[in-house]
Amino acid sequence: MLKRLRAINKTASFVAASLALLITVPLQAASADVKADTNIDVASIVKKAEKAAYYSGKDGRSDARMMIVDAQGRKQMRQFTILRRDVADNGDQQMMVFFERPADVKDTVFRVEKHVDLAIEDDRWLYLPALDLVKRISSGDKRTSFVGSHFFYEDVSGRAISEDNFVLQEDTEAAYILKATPKAPDTVEFSHYVVTIDKKTNLPILIDFFKSNNNYRRVEAVKIEEIQGFPTVVRSKVSDLESGAYTLMEFRNINFDLGLVDDVFTERSLRNPPREWLN
Amino acid sequence: MDEWGEEDKAPKSFSGFVELAAGVRLSSDPVINTDKTLADLRAQLQWDKDFKASRVKFTADLYYDGVLDQTKLQIRELAWQGSLSSIFDLGEWSKKFDIKVGQQVLTWGTGDYIFLNDLFPKDFQSFFAGRDDDYLKAPSLAAKVSGFFDWANVDVVITPKFSPDNYINGDYFSFFSPFAGANVAPGFEVSSPNKPSSPEYALRVYKTIGSTEYAAYAYDGFHKSPASFTEFGEPYFSGLRVYGASAITPFANGLLNVEMAYYDSKDDAQGRNPLVPNSQSRWLIGYEQELVKNLTGSAQLYVERMSNFDALKANSLTAQFDPNKNRVLFTQRLMYRALQQTLTLNAFNFYSTSDEDGYLKLSVDYSPVDQWQLSGGFNVFYGKDRFSFFNQFEDASNAFVRFKYYY
Repeated sequence: MLKRLRAINKTASFVAASLALLITVPLQAASADVKADTNIDVASIVKKAEKAAYYSGKDGRSDARMMIVDAQGRKQMRQFTILRRDVADNGDQQMMVFFERPADVKDTVFRVEKHVDLAIEDDRWLYLPALDLVKRISSGDKRTSFVGSHFFYEDVSGRAISEDNFVLQEDTEAAYILKATPKAPDTVEFSHYVVTIDKKTNLPILIDFFKSNNNYRRVEAVKIEEIQGFPTVVRSKVSDLESGAYTLMEFRNINFDLGLVDDVFTERSLRNPPREWLN
Repeated sequence: MDEWGEEDKAPKSFSGFVELAAGVRLSSDPVINTDKTLADLRAQLQWDKDFKASRVKFTADLYYDGVLDQTKLQIRELAWQGSLSSIFDLGEWSKKFDIKVGQQVLTWGTGDYIFLNDLFPKDFQSFFAGRDDDYLKAPSLAAKVSGFFDWANVDVVITPKFSPDNYINGDYFSFFSPFAGANVAPGFEVSSPNKPSSPEYALRVYKTIGSTEYAAYAYDGFHKSPASFTEFGEPYFSGLRVYGASAITPFANGLLNVEMAYYDSKDDAQGRNPLVPNSQSRWLIGYEQELVKNLTGSAQLYVERMSNFDALKANSLTAQFDPNKNRVLFTQRLMYRALQQTLTLNAFNFYSTSDEDGYLKLSVDYSPVDQWQLSGGFNVFYGKDRFSFFNQFEDASNAFVRFKYYY
């Protein structure tokens, strides 16, 4: 069991994925180096997209499941419940992820205190029920798999906008299409990515990652629903376009503004989960 | 997305696995007449029931141990857990307490495979034989009361009946006896007049300030292995008190942890009794960091410093086999994940510069689907002196393989 848990370690704070998470928005922080060659404010587009994708309501809960399909067509399932609370809009967040499946990770819990200040690493913990162990997790490369899926930690927690240069590539009737180029290309596996942001919902609905001209990876919103007035991605998909492997993620039983208090997001909840919010 | 199919049924309240495990000695042990070190056919069953604000959980392992030719049942958990307010509604203050009562596994402290302030029972026979790491921690029948306050959180654990470690007793692996001057494998159990009859008490007070977690610990009970001898030469668990503290914090690109503990050997306060371990202070510093993508490394330095070393020397019956005043131990771990995290490679090495011995644990886990996992590895003990801490187990060195199927 430790195998899978250790695997999870790395990406614990996927949590950040949050309810809203759904799909990855590699955009965060307000101070972007934006080259807007029209009078369209790219920085503002990016910030709105971040809020739409990650900060719906003051807090939220969702049941989630993932189906991981490898290149041979073999499937794995992950099933968990996420609780999220915003400390501030477009700011710090608290998250808990309670795993239900597969059997070897049942009752495993992640806790994340996400800090938007790039100088402060997120605080992350993992509770391993078989050992009754609360394990502090060190930060790691954010572009590695989350719980064995094709989602990266960074896909779900958000990539700081200050790490990329953005250019408006296209302005269609329905969407803004931005090209992002990393300032430190040595730290990532892509040379650039192209993100499509839906004008109606402000949600990023398609991200294609490139190595030079080779589009090897795609993250897409498959289904969007309005929940309590918030447009929310309820199904998303990450594809490894080279191998054909992919991961589907689905969110159900989504609720925002439950009034989750600070006390829910503590070590106490790792060992004794807050059942009133889970079932 | 149609391949999702139907909604999942309600979560099963039963789950578990069956496992087949085998291990063999790398070289024979002259005092144990089998090369088998692990031969388990195991079934684990888990069941739980959630109430409004509490839960009952049951985990049991039924297994045939082919090394001892015995069928065993281990209840790893049979406990009720909930808020105090869910039993007695005593107002707001009762909401600040959680209780967990029954058979349970307990863990605290900051070390990786090294325990200073965690005096809950461990199963070293399973650890050496290559069973899953989960089995390093043994269950105990205990009551745990946790209080959550603004000034700090507090855990109090009372174990009414002393729960020793599953120490190396000769059942699977031989150990060095200073009195025999050689390895022995008596397969002994401590006879009941020498078993402690009083409870064990453990306390932890902890608080997070910023990103740093601080904890203070205390324990009142007994040495967890029968490292003491009566005047008739019978092994027993002598009295022990432990006081300690720890901190863990993000540092550089990783995590830094420090922990210390003072082991007050109550039955040998002056250190003059050669039949009872001396008091000790124990120190640990550790650091963990991801080195490159998917590869995590960690290192620990651990020191045991014996109190009243001169008194020990002056009274020793077996001076040639005595430990050093300071036992200095380094550990290193490398963990690598590959194939979309379905393959995990682990190397953990203990090396003692003072004893010039060590223990290398290598393992591989492969699980490309949710239903099964294949694991294998080596436990290798090495060193110079046949009586030193790790090297006395040189003939316990083994290779193991396990196959687990989840139902």
